[in-house]
Amino acid sequence: MADKKKRRRAASSSDSESDPLHFKSKLKPDSSILQTLTALKSASASSSSSRPASLSSLNLPTAFREVSDLPLSSVQSTIESLALSLAHSILAGHGFSFSVPSRASANQLYVPELDRIVLKDKSSSRPFASVASVRKTTITARILQLIHQLSLKNIHVTKRDLFYTDVKLFQDQSQSDSILDDVSCILGCTRSSLNVVASEKGVVVGRLIFSDNGDMIDCTKMGMGGKAIPPNIDRVADMQSDALFILLVEKDAAYMRLAEDRFYNRFPCIIVTAKGQPDVATRLFLRKMKNELKLPVLALVDSDPYGLKILSVYGCGSKNMSYDSANLTTPDIKWLGVRPSDLDKYKIPEQCRLPMTETDIKTGKDLLEEDFVKKNPGWVEELNLMVKSKQKAEIQALSSFGFQYLTEVYLPLKLQQKDWL
Amino acid sequence: MLCFIFIVESPAEFFADNKNIAGFDNPGKCLYTTVRELVENALDSAEAIAELPVIEITIEEIGRNKFNSMIGLANHERVDEALYDDFETDKAREKRLAKEARFQETQAKNAALGKKVKAPTAFKPTKSREASYYRVTCKDNGRGMPHDDIPNMFGRVLSGTKYGLKQTRGKFGLGAKMALIWSKMSTGLPIEIFSSMKGHTFSSFCRLDIDIHRNIPHIHVHEKRENHERWHGAEIQIVIEGNWTTYRSKILHYMRQMAVITPYAQFLFKFLSESPEYLLFLCLNPIKNMSVRFARRTDIMPPAPLETKYHPSAVDLLLIKRLIAETSKQNLLQFLQHEFVNVGKSHAERLIGEMGPDFSPKMAVKSLTSQQIVRIHQLFRQAKFDDPSGDCLSPAGEYNLRLGIIKELHPDMVATYSGSAQVFEGHPFIVEAGLSLGGKDVKQGLNVFRFANRIPLLFEQGADVVTRTAVKRINWSNYKINQAQDKIGVFVSIVSTKIPFKGTGKEYIGDDISEIASAVKTAIQQCCIQLKSKIVKRIQAREQQERKRSLNKYIPNATSAIYEILKEMSSSHALKRRRYEGKDAELLKQVSTQIVTEGTLREKLAQHVEQVDYEMALEYATQAGVNEEPREDIFIPPLEAEYECTELFSPIFVFRLVA
Repeated sequence: MADKKKRRRAASSSDSESDPLHFKSKLKPDSSILQTLTALKSASASSSSSRPASLSSLNLPTAFREVSDLPLSSVQSTIESLALSLAHSILAGHGFSFSVPSRASANQLYVPELDRIVLKDKSSSRPFASVASVRKTTITARILQLIHQLSLKNIHVTKRDLFYTDVKLFQDQSQSDSILDDVSCILGCTRSSLNVVASEKGVVVGRLIFSDNGDMIDCTKMGMGGKAIPPNIDRVADMQSDALFILLVEKDAAYMRLAEDRFYNRFPCIIVTAKGQPDVATRLFLRKMKNELKLPVLALVDSDPYGLKILSVYGCGSKNMSYDSANLTTPDIKWLGVRPSDLDKYKIPEQCRLPMTETDIKTGKDLLEEDFVKKNPGWVEELNLMVKSKQKAEIQALSSFGFQYLTEVYLPLKLQQKDWL
Repeated sequence: MLCFIFIVESPAEFFADNKNIAGFDNPGKCLYTTVRELVENALDSAEAIAELPVIEITIEEIGRNKFNSMIGLANHERVDEALYDDFETDKAREKRLAKEARFQETQAKNAALGKKVKAPTAFKPTKSREASYYRVTCKDNGRGMPHDDIPNMFGRVLSGTKYGLKQTRGKFGLGAKMALIWSKMSTGLPIEIFSSMKGHTFSSFCRLDIDIHRNIPHIHVHEKRENHERWHGAEIQIVIEGNWTTYRSKILHYMRQMAVITPYAQFLFKFLSESPEYLLFLCLNPIKNMSVRFARRTDIMPPAPLETKYHPSAVDLLLIKRLIAETSKQNLLQFLQHEFVNVGKSHAERLIGEMGPDFSPKMAVKSLTSQQIVRIHQLFRQAKFDDPSGDCLSPAGEYNLRLGIIKELHPDMVATYSGSAQVFEGHPFIVEAGLSLGGKDVKQGLNVFRFANRIPLLFEQGADVVTRTAVKRINWSNYKINQAQDKIGVFVSIVSTKIPFKGTGKEYIGDDISEIASAVKTAIQQCCIQLKSKIVKRIQAREQQERKRSLNKYIPNATSAIYEILKEMSSSHALKRRRYEGKDAELLKQVSTQIVTEGTLREKLAQHVEQVDYEMALEYATQAGVNEEPREDIFIPPLEAEYECTELFSPIFVFRLVA
């Protein structure tokens, strides 16, 4: 027994030692932190009330291609008129070909005024009678036909479903997926308006109430795992919230910690994660929340180049889906942590930091060249620090001070100090 | 204590104790190394008199009975069978018989079921540890050896390396001596040498072995014989323990690669089995006689490598001391000026001035103290010298390498490249590369052929700079070469006054020398670039043939997709859910009345494909020109005429004056 006591005492003493700078003692009462958050919220609400400029209003010298949400009937009629023109062309003996907007990186542009990547209007022809493109052309025709069926029957399918309708032709899901993006470019509509969705990936928990297909969902009462973000954003409506901010989390593990500790009850917030690279549904959902609830978005990602990259995908869109960046991006995301400067500031022990690999460093240096990083001097500074120190750390590195350090000390202190960029 | 041993041990003893260094690890490898040493000596000998080499090498198996009679040992019948290792105990016999019975049973069953009966596989006789012996004979048309020098050339191992520096074939400069030591160790039989020099009326015959302990030749016979046919060259016959079965492929690979790098030589390789012909049918696993001829493909020989002096940055302390001991020059200035390359008179004077006040140009070079020599060495390391030129090297030559590859591999495509001389640690080196695609007896994937100073390297391939470069640093797909599927032959020949070998057996060149690694990479890449355009053309030609087929394959899929949409539309059009105008309405009407069916679309699209194919074929034909007739290779053999000629040697050519 005595032995056990001693051990416990040793454990408790080491507990206090593990907080070397006594960060915990620096914490002010929650009420004062809440005040700063309220100020943040009202500031963000006023700033976002001014509508962001649209692409056409900027009068840029080059032409751009953007897609929009189209109702099902217009998707159907677009496909039908396309099919008619193809049939005419075949019957006239000219074969057929598609004009597909190029999604190569040369055809993409970061527009600082909009803070997102957009697609220029270059497109390439995809003729049937060419060995190089015959395969893609055939798959495109087949996907068009499948989408047409979906629009007739008004149902949703997943990308996997779509792939399995003609495995022999598609061979590989990545092929049908990429052609699907091409098709939405050709038709000029978002991928969600094609009625093809990806399976659920993102989850949300916290002070949010919304209706999913008519059912009211209260995200504080969804248990620890939270509510899966519906793959089909049309189902989501009637968002209400008393949260002060949205906390975007990169990793499932950190999300679990925050959800289990009911972080959103201490500081009213909505916690979202896409478990790594965000899918379309999560990005749409985040944008919808931000636009409707006018909440500031704070991001908690790993201190490595990929963390920042994920941040950038939420913020300015991915190159692959740049044609739809207008609907997918959420501007003005604040980088809360874990930032490279935090490693020293919060005395994260050496054994929890990892050396960056060659590819990590290269990715970091490439990111420094990206416009969306350059526009934020704070980010450039942080990234420079990361590349220079050649060290990275995951959110979990904070667990070295105790599993709940993240929720009890780190995040409150960060919020209190308004330590976001 | 160690020192003491080295003083007592003769060089011959040292090599006898450490024979693995020279490539005599096990009987199999001993046979291989003996062959290679003899072949390389023969090539050197023929090249030394600018004679196109003709080399015959014969390996003759010697059975135990024959061997015993050769050494004068009576054959002993086994009395106590159980004493021997290969004795079959009762238990083992039972096991074997049971296995054989089982095998026969399955055979019978298979036969009853009408299945193809497998040829009865040979039951391997229990492995015997008994040694096998071989007589290796190598005959060349080289210079031959002076009659009186023969005993010392074979029977004495000299430990000191040669004065001066030269690109040489051998790795240790031991040649046949090591083989002689091995024969002494394994069989005790002497070596036999016939030799005759050009213009001599006699030939020499010598039978000798080596006294390993005293490092002197032990001569049995040494006599002059008549030489009627005015033959010149050498024939060396040696009996050693070996292992043909395990090293057969290595020896054949060696001969083949040697034929690639020396296409101006003619090789005749023979293996004679011990078992007489009629026994072959009875024997279950016979070792067959074989005879392989590697024909001469060119009579252009690379010039003999020239002897050169050391480059100041290539010497170490010991070497400086040795040069000082051996030099004929009196003072320091002359020593620096004449014993090193790239040191002129004024340069030498500046160097001496830089050495310090203790040095003067006129000081006697032999009186230098150890400290002073260290100072010279230091300065050699720090000072700047011009790079040594590659003139003293004798690369295989792009032309010869190309012919060698074509001759031995018969590839579909070949490219060669010869780099310029570069320098590593004061030694010049030249990298040449060849790249072949396709060919006979070539495996799929990368086949790396490595040559150092014009001899093939066969062992420890994985760590070699050439293998590493070819496997890791060349992006084959850039050049439209499929690393896994195509039959790629990579040939890299490196020549240098000093090849930086790695490993105990000097079997590979390390990957850590960036100068060599980058030169190898450039050479291979240059070959790749040459091949790329040819490959692209070939792919285009293939695409040309397959275009129609690959397009037609997709017609049903594409038309059915479009037709399905049209069908849906026509039904909704008929129900007046949607209105279409003009030709669209007409088309939909045709669809609903079955005037336009999927078959119509298919037909039209097929017509279009046909037309496009025709146009592209026409375009291709105008670009590629008229189809070339398949050409047949013709080789023009040289006239076998005897000329009296005077030869003048230069680093880059041999000038023959025909009288």
